[in-house]
Amino acid sequence: MPATAMAFDGVTKQFGDFTAVDNLNFAIPEGCIFGFLGGNGAGKTTSLRMALDILSPTSGRIEVMGKEPSRENAAEIGFLPEERGLYKKMSVLDTIIYFAQLKQMEAAPAKSAAMALLERLELADWAKSPIEKLSKGMAQKVQVATALVNSPKLLMLDEPFSGLDPVNQAMLEDLIAESARNGATVIFSTHVMQHAERLCDRLLMLARGKKAFDGTQDEARAALPSRLALTAKADPSALPGVERTHAGESHDGWTRYEVELQQGIEPDALLEHCTANGVPLRSFDVQVPSLHETFIHFVGADEEIER
Amino acid sequence: MREILLVAKREMRQVIATKGFWIMLAAVPIALAISGFASNQLAPERTTAYSVVDESGRYAPLLETQMQASFRQATLRELSEYAEKWELQHVDPEAPWANRQAWLNPAEIQRFAEAGGAEAAVALLEPELDEDTPPFEIEDPYYTEVALPDGVAIPAVGEEVGERLRSVLEDDITVDDRRLPYGAILHIPANFGQPGAQARIFTNGRSNASLIRNMREILSASVRQDAFAAQGIAPDTAIALQTMQAPVSVIEPPPGEGRSLVATRSLVPIALVYLLLITAVTTGSMMLQGVVEERSNKLFESVLACIKPDTLMQGKLLGLGAIGLIIVLTWAGTGLVAALYFEGFAAEVLRPSLEALDDPLLILAMIIYFLGGYVVLAMVFLAVGAISESMQDAQSYLTPVIFLIMIPVVIVMQAALKGPDEPVALILSWIPLYTPFAMLARLGSGVATWEIIGTIVLLIAFIWLELKLLGNIFRASLLNDGKPTWKRIFSWMGSKDSAG
Repeated sequence: MPATAMAFDGVTKQFGDFTAVDNLNFAIPEGCIFGFLGGNGAGKTTSLRMALDILSPTSGRIEVMGKEPSRENAAEIGFLPEERGLYKKMSVLDTIIYFAQLKQMEAAPAKSAAMALLERLELADWAKSPIEKLSKGMAQKVQVATALVNSPKLLMLDEPFSGLDPVNQAMLEDLIAESARNGATVIFSTHVMQHAERLCDRLLMLARGKKAFDGTQDEARAALPSRLALTAKADPSALPGVERTHAGESHDGWTRYEVELQQGIEPDALLEHCTANGVPLRSFDVQVPSLHETFIHFVGADEEIER
Repeated sequence: MREILLVAKREMRQVIATKGFWIMLAAVPIALAISGFASNQLAPERTTAYSVVDESGRYAPLLETQMQASFRQATLRELSEYAEKWELQHVDPEAPWANRQAWLNPAEIQRFAEAGGAEAAVALLEPELDEDTPPFEIEDPYYTEVALPDGVAIPAVGEEVGERLRSVLEDDITVDDRRLPYGAILHIPANFGQPGAQARIFTNGRSNASLIRNMREILSASVRQDAFAAQGIAPDTAIALQTMQAPVSVIEPPPGEGRSLVATRSLVPIALVYLLLITAVTTGSMMLQGVVEERSNKLFESVLACIKPDTLMQGKLLGLGAIGLIIVLTWAGTGLVAALYFEGFAAEVLRPSLEALDDPLLILAMIIYFLGGYVVLAMVFLAVGAISESMQDAQSYLTPVIFLIMIPVVIVMQAALKGPDEPVALILSWIPLYTPFAMLARLGSGVATWEIIGTIVLLIAFIWLELKLLGNIFRASLLNDGKPTWKRIFSWMGSKDSAG
């Protein structure tokens, strides 16, 4: 069993009468890419802030790399907040060095790490420029650099893709994957399912502060009834294991049906039954549910999220 | 501590990179240079020129003698004050200038003149001066007689004043390469002293009143003397009658005591009050701007992931405190250099002011009040920054805050100078926000030791409380997106954190 990078144990956070996080339990194994999924107000940012000791929980226990949340962990953490900003008058290089030093790096290694990152982010020519001279996308990259400069063991990214153009989104995905390959644990919150689908090993789905799902993508999908599309002569509703069907286009006596199986029934079982019993089929396509569909299944269709 | 220093260093670098900082730093040296230049180059002439057209031939020499005598009297008074202040009476205890009352006695003034006047006294004193004692400077005479410029015609009685006469009086007149204001032209007719004959003084309307009074007194004395003679009174008796003085002696504290000592001792503390106000308000505004920038730029979360809100706040206080100190030291330093350069000021005002602060408790108290006052005000500005969404927002909070600080401070300064026990100053001394101002203003005029210690203890306790409250406001407000209301601000002061 791998060590735990972060664990929430019965964590609740209340602001007055409002409960932002409600009895949350989960554990994030070291070295994985972990997604916090949820709509606005789901409690993603509050959870991350508690893990960073910016907020303290009303009740429950949090462990970050085996320790209580505190600024003493800062040296091992890289954090990219959802709301981003930098000191406008400070130069790009000074900004990154400043944050590196706040994370307990010495000035010289901070400088060489900053320069290496700027090369990687194609910003080396801008090292001496003040932030205010940069485009928004460039400033976002500098902010990413401030999170990565200390080669963190734990990278926490709050909505990292918001505000980035597609090119920079792809670049950030690469950086996240690379950090994970280098052994870092990456936790990021998002309301965009595509990124999570491409990157995450494990997911935590949140709905109004409560845990809706915690596990791998496959586990999430397995929780949904299997669906498939088949082309047959007769309505497959009566076949064993079929929950419901929906007839589509017909052609020369063949009709295409969308089929939803009963919970726990695998498409393989239906195919086996058809071949064994001489049910004529022209096509049999298993449909893997998207993460968006699993999210709607667990959290509900009312949450504001993006595919 | 390392993080506090990092934040402080960043704040300092940010301020030092602004033009405003350098302009402010240079403001006092430039102002001093300008005022120094102005006082050297543009100081008005002290001496006023006048002319006498004496058709009788009797009065002009008399007038000149009398003018000289009254100048000598003033010089004797200044010289005797100087001798007492710098303890130089021992050089010649019998000299008129060794006696503070001598200037009231015509015989003494006469003796002073006969002994060679101020020039002889200065020559006598010069070898006795130690290096801290400035030499006595003989001032220029108040009045100097000049010949009537060419082409100026004195109009007959009842006639219009001619253009030339008018323009001569409007202009300055050159005497020995100096441009002097032309104060008056006195015309004495040949038959002056007889009934109906009158002397006339032509002026430009802005004339020196004492010049006219002098002329009138001297002429009146002369006319009176003639009247005495006409009554058969012997000339000697007449002079004795005229110069008869009622026995009046003027009691003055020695220079450097009494009210003048209070003023001298108050100079440094009161200068500190103004410095405190200026630096606290200017660097406070910088601090506020910085906090508002961080807030509106959504910077806080990144910073707070690395350091605690208290550390951030303390770093800011330290960094901008250091900036404030740099400004104060630069200003005070250039002020001191300027004071030493303009020797008179250094010797007569600054050195006695510094020497009057001879009590270590007083000096320590001054430093504590200054630094304490700075921290108290800086935190008020930081708090305003922490609850403001934008600079515009900050301005609307700041206006009442500045009034809250300034108005009582102005009142207390007035009150404290009247006396250390004015009720307003007494009350404000015990309100921590005003303690530094009230106590600095009162220090010079003498405050009980228990009061100094008591107010310092209260001030330090208040700073501690303010730090706690500000820490809470910082923590709660920085991550809060909503517009702060007074109710929320008060709840922040007490709470550990707030809605995210």
